[in-house]
Amino acid sequence: MVQKILRITGLKKRYNSKFCLTVDNIYTEKGKILTIIGPNGSGKSTLIRLINLLEKPDSGKIYFNNCEISGRGVKSTEVRKKMAVVFQEPLLFNTSVYNNIIMGLKIRKIKISEVKDRVDYFINKLKIESLLNRSTRNLSGGEKQRVSLARAMVLDPELLLLDEPLANIDQSSRESLRLDLFEVLKSYGKSVVYVTHDRNEAMVLADDIAVMDKGKILQFAGKEEVFRKPKNEFIARFVGVETIVNGIILESRRNVCRVGTGEENNNNEIFVVGSEKKNTAVTLAIRPEDVILYNTDISSSESSAMNLFKGNIIEIKDIGIFKRVEIDCGFALSSFVTQDSISRLNLSVGRKIFAAVKASSIHMFKR
Amino acid sequence: MDIIWQGIKRAAILIFTGNREIYEILFLTLKVSGSAVFFSMLLGIPVGVLVGLNKFTLKRLVVAIINTGMGLPPVAAGLIVALFIWRSGPFGFLELMYTPAAIVIAQVLIASPIIAGITLAAVQQIDPKLIQQALSLGANRFQVFWILIREARLPALAAIMAGFGGIISEVGAVTMVGGNIKGETRVLTTATVQMVRMGNFAVAIALVVILLILAFGVNFLLTLIQQKESVGWFRRF
Repeated sequence: MVQKILRITGLKKRYNSKFCLTVDNIYTEKGKILTIIGPNGSGKSTLIRLINLLEKPDSGKIYFNNCEISGRGVKSTEVRKKMAVVFQEPLLFNTSVYNNIIMGLKIRKIKISEVKDRVDYFINKLKIESLLNRSTRNLSGGEKQRVSLARAMVLDPELLLLDEPLANIDQSSRESLRLDLFEVLKSYGKSVVYVTHDRNEAMVLADDIAVMDKGKILQFAGKEEVFRKPKNEFIARFVGVETIVNGIILESRRNVCRVGTGEENNNNEIFVVGSEKKNTAVTLAIRPEDVILYNTDISSSESSAMNLFKGNIIEIKDIGIFKRVEIDCGFALSSFVTQDSISRLNLSVGRKIFAAVKASSIHMFKR
Repeated sequence: MDIIWQGIKRAAILIFTGNREIYEILFLTLKVSGSAVFFSMLLGIPVGVLVGLNKFTLKRLVVAIINTGMGLPPVAAGLIVALFIWRSGPFGFLELMYTPAAIVIAQVLIASPIIAGITLAAVQQIDPKLIQQALSLGANRFQVFWILIREARLPALAAIMAGFGGIISEVGAVTMVGGNIKGETRVLTTATVQMVRMGNFAVAIALVVILLILAFGVNFLLTLIQQKESVGWFRRF
């Protein structure tokens, strides 16, 4: 069994006059990225502060490496020394950039000479070499957050908590910081809890996702499941349900990429509008609204849609105004149809069905 | 007019020829007020940080007392110290009355509330989230305390300047508990008063010039440090 680095059970915490944070059961495994996603005010930051023991829960338990850390008699300073937090606002101390980066190491009495390689690595990866001697007072928001990230990462924590690190950064520097941060996180290999309200960040980064709203965890599951099988309409609307398929670009020409999917990347070929280079690993996202179902096999000469799939219906589920139809066509493809269409096409579980998706309505993300 | 001119000329001679009495007074003043500022820092900065940082039931009362202390009339400070160290007072057995130590105590009583008050205001200006950040980096209470003192170092310097300015120029308390004994407890201010009373304007002017140079010098030094620190902040605008 994989070790659960963090587990929260039966947690309750009143966090403003209106809402009470309630977490029945969420956990994350060693080396995985858990993304907590939800709109502003849903209690995500409070959850991070509770995990870091900056606040005490009203009831419930938090386990870190299978030890309860939320109870009495726990030395919170010792627990915090195994974690590191990057807050939404980059909170830097009034000294040089370099002194800020090594602040945590000094506090934890880690010899800087022993971890010099690590310090240099993150300074390099986060592109802040040129800032080291500057005072933190005249840095831009993006630069400040880079310093804040480096300060947390050089500590090599067992659990890294990132509380919307990109949310307070202006648009112009956010994109470049996102690229650099995600590159670091992908090769990071450590346990991370990443809080965000941005579904795209979750889609690219997450192993598991917990969706929150108004203090409640609405769904906690693997990334594919949350995007493909949202439990209710709120989640469907918030995460913007997607079928997610991983693949590799087999060919790219005239702004259309041919993407191989499945284990050997040869199961299904999907055409996507885009100009990524050959052999690039990508994630494809297909919105269920864009999947059109047919009862008869249509050939490519009969449709402008470049992607034609066939498979059996494995589930039909009511999610509010739509029915979600899930089809097994080498990967699990979701489609939203109305109740009217269900009866018109006579759809039922187990039936064979054909589906069409336009190459231009598939979103492609570099993996 | 002539008296003033003559006085300034003689004062210059006294200063530049190293008049022994004047320099004795200068060194005693530096020793006494220097130690008083030092002890006031030791007392005022931690108290300011602790009161500014913590929430407790009587916080408002304590802050009000510190703020009152900032405006404490020096004669009141002198009287309080005198009452305690008077021969028949509770600490009379220490025989501190009319000693430099008595002056130091009175000056600490004047300067430490000033330093505590300014530090307190500075610490309360610090973003509480920064405390949270320090904690999450793994800082214990003692480390948080140090980090905040470092964050408040510029206003703390201002506090020290204000404290020093307050006591170096003070006469009432020093006279009351020091007694202005020649060669023992006579400092720049009390000596000046004495000289004016005796009509010895030249020495009085010399003493005041030294006092001004001293006050200016110390403040200039601290200002240099302070402005060097904040030059980056200025550049942003």
